[in-house]
Formats: sequence, structure tokens, C-alpha cells
Amino acid sequence: MKANSGAFASSFRDPSGFVFTREGSVYRQVSRAYQDNYDHLMRSGLYEALVGSSLLIRHEEVGGDHASAQGAYKVLKPELVPFISYPYEWCFSQLKNAALTTLQIQKTALDFGMSLKDGSAYNIQFLKGRPVFIDTLSFERYHEGQTWVAYRQFCQHFLAPLALASYRDIRLNQLSRVHLDGIPLDLASSLLPVRSRFRFSLLSHLHLHAKSQKYFADKIPNRGGRRMSLKGFLGLVDSLQAAVERLKWRPRGTEWADYYEKNGYSQEALEHKKELVRSFLESMNPGMIWDLGANTGLFSRIAGDRGIATISFDVDPAAVERNYLECRERGECNILPLVLDLTNPSPSIGWHNRERDSLVGRGPADAVMALALIHHLAISNNLPFARIAEFLAGICERLIIEFVPKSDSQVQRLLSTREDIFADYNQQTFEDTFSEYFRIERCVEIRDTERALYLMEKR
Amino acid sequence: MRYSKGALRIPVMVGVLILISVRDCFAYVDPGTGSYVIQLIMAGLLAAAFALKSYWKNITAFLSRLLSRK
Repeated sequence: MKANSGAFASSFRDPSGFVFTREGSVYRQVSRAYQDNYDHLMRSGLYEALVGSSLLIRHEEVGGDHASAQGAYKVLKPELVPFISYPYEWCFSQLKNAALTTLQIQKTALDFGMSLKDGSAYNIQFLKGRPVFIDTLSFERYHEGQTWVAYRQFCQHFLAPLALASYRDIRLNQLSRVHLDGIPLDLASSLLPVRSRFRFSLLSHLHLHAKSQKYFADKIPNRGGRRMSLKGFLGLVDSLQAAVERLKWRPRGTEWADYYEKNGYSQEALEHKKELVRSFLESMNPGMIWDLGANTGLFSRIAGDRGIATISFDVDPAAVERNYLECRERGECNILPLVLDLTNPSPSIGWHNRERDSLVGRGPADAVMALALIHHLAISNNLPFARIAEFLAGICERLIIEFVPKSDSQVQRLLSTREDIFADYNQQTFEDTFSEYFRIERCVEIRDTERALYLMEKR
Repeated sequence: MRYSKGALRIPVMVGVLILISVRDCFAYVDPGTGSYVIQLIMAGLLAAAFALKSYWKNITAFLSRLLSRK
């Protein structure tokens, strides 16, 4: 999200520099105050080592005439991240991989005489299917004896939510949406079960850490003379790495993760639907598509395989986990699975409501897919067709949408537990209402079903 | 011994922390100091473990080289 000057509204805390946009390109201005650290990053071989291992985003230096404000030492043009995502939208393994990436970077940085000054999860983005560190200005010279200034932030941003998801409930990752600087350790400590105290790494980095914060909260420290050896520093990072690696979460028995195995589609219907999606995508060839209600990403893969940047959203963390693990296993670089409740999508939050962008603010996408979704919005959530069409017209230019009639077994399942107050839920009303916002280009009935697939273009 | 004083402090501090109960932290309270202290304590403990781990890796690497020669 951008402030009026072109500077990103999330880029104001660090005096080392800031991010801004100009004519559609993203730049990072390096302040003179950061000159020594930047030069060391580039000349020590650390930058090459990290970029070579796909841990840090690649950038090129552009001329000083690109500077957005006074005091520029350099202006960088980093590789563009097609879609910015946030930790509260990640599944368990995405957060875990992001944590391990941060620790690997810290270890490598120490080898080259540098250290990370931030342990923020927001410094990680997913690029070509992998977590990559995007804040080039987070590195500072390491001096023997210093502590890791990012230790608390790392524990709050990564270790606490991962432990809560692993030991208590995956939905607790949503706490990151409320606590933008990571989950307070006293809160994490009180929510974690007693058995988490029997694991030394969690006892020390979370529970005792929280108690230490409490005990020293009103005491003025004498920080002079206390030194942390390099071995101690490496031991600390190593211990955090082992702690993160041991945290596991296995999705089981959730509603959506095994949807295709259990529900309604015959093989013929599924194949025909895939064929239609393929042909619709071929006719429009979008640069980016958002697949809403993507489940484990079966149809996202059709877009991803065509080289389309595909954001694969689902409300179920288990489905997103399966989707992400499959992406990693298959080395897919075009699909980004994310957790999203479409009826309450990510809002604009943080300082001035501008630090973290809303879902809508990160759009519009060239195209949206809404397959087997309309009945959940219209019937489960009482959303009128007009509201759905208005929302979709605000986030895309082209739309692939499936209409699921009332007679369909899945709709009947939804209606079995609620009164049928949806007199207008029929294909004609659907077409009439959507026609106010979109031009219907194609409508094809899916074989062996009563469903229909539409291709629409925004009016 | 040179490190005996520091080495004694660590288990005492860990013991004190275990006995403190955790409650909410608010506005003027600085969680940074506690993080700094626990980090020093942990680094003190983990430095030895890390050194042992490194030596162990060297020993196993040496032994596997020795065995592979045969």
C-alpha cells in the first residue's frame, strides 16, 4: 500500500531506507546512514551467497536520479514480487519455512560478519513458490560480543505462532492479524499447554522468555560489559532452528482437505470441468489469476501449469497446507496458496490503517476463478447475487464462475439444515444479476452435472 | 576457575524465572530487557552444547573418512 509520496506506507520505521514506487516499478532507497552496512553486504560476498541460494531477493542498483528523497546513498530496484502476502494468510508449513529461511540467513550472515537486525515475518515473501527475504537493509555489521537484537521479534513472529498451531490449534495463527509485531510471549505462554514446558527449546525461548520479560519489565538494565560469544550466538540460532524444525502440524479430518475424494463429481464431470477451465484460460491468457475457494488447488494447477501467476485462496488451513506441500513437492513456482475467509477477507491494518494492505487493495487481478463457490456465498452466508457480483467486479477484469443449482446434491446438503429462504437462487436470476456487472462471454453446462461454467468480462 | 561465578548465575537465574508467574505486559513496560537477559543466559548454556555438537560432527566426519579408506 502506498502513501501519497509514492513511499510504501509500511516502510517508515527503518532509518536505513525505504521502499517507494514510481511509474509502476518498486524501488528501495538506501540512506547514507546505512552506507557502511550496505557496502559490507555487497562486498563481503554475503549478498552473492544469499542470492545464489535463493534466500535473498535480487536487486540491481539504478542511478541516483531515481532517488525519491534527499540523503540517498543508493537506489535499488529489487526483483518484483507479484503478490504480497502476510503471515496471517500463510499455512503452517509456509510459516515454518519462512522461519527456517530467516534462521538460515542469520547463520550465513554471521559467516560474513553481519547479523540481522529484524526477525520480522513480514520480511519474508513467497517468490516462485519459495520463501525469500525481501528487506535488503536488514543486515548490520556484527561485532563479537553483541547479542541478537532480533531474538525477541523472531520468537514473537515465528516461534510463538508455530508452537500455538502445533500444540493448541491451527486457527491461532490468526492472532498474528491482531498482534502485528508478533504474538506477545506472555499470551503465547498462557495459551500453550503444560506439556509444551517439557520441551527445553519451548521452555526456554517462550515460557522462560515471557517470565524474564515480566521480571525485568520495570528494571533498568546495565547492558555494558555483558557479552555474548559467537559460539553462544551460533548456539542460540541453532537451538531456535531445532525448535522450529521439531514443530509439526498434520492436517486431518477437516472439512475441505479431502473434498474431491468425497464429493459429488463423477470422473467425467471433473474432466469436463478441467477441460472447460483450460479452454477459458486459453482464450483470455491472464497475467495473474486469483482462484477463490481453491481447496487443494486442483484447478489452480491448470492455471499454474500455463505459466499464469496463480493465487490459490481457501478458508481451510488444511486444504492450503496440502496445496502448499504439493507445490513444494512438484517444484511449482507459479502457485501461491493462501488462507483466506472470503466472507471476512484480510483488511487494511496497522498504523494509519495502511501498513498491511487489504485483499481488495492488492487487486484487481486480471482474472478470478470462483468454482463451486457461489452456493456457499449465497446460501451459507445469505449473500444476494448482486453483492457477490459487485464484489467480484471490484477485484477482477475477467471471471470464470460456476453456477450450482438448487437441485445439486451439494446445495441440498446446505439446505438440509436451514430454511429455504432463497427463492431467487436460480440460474436465470444469477445471469440477470451478473449481467449488470459483467458481459457473459460463454456459458457451458458441465457434463454429467446440472452445473454450468461461465466466462465473463467486466463491463 | 575462571567461569565459575557466571556458570553458577545461570542455573540460579533459570530457577528464579521458573518461579515467577506471567501476567500481562502493558504500555510503559519494556519487554526488551527481559529478552536481552534470557538471551544471554541461553547463549551461555547453548555455547557449550553448540561446541560439543561441532566437535561431535568433526569426530563423526573423521571416523567416517577413516572407515571409508578401509
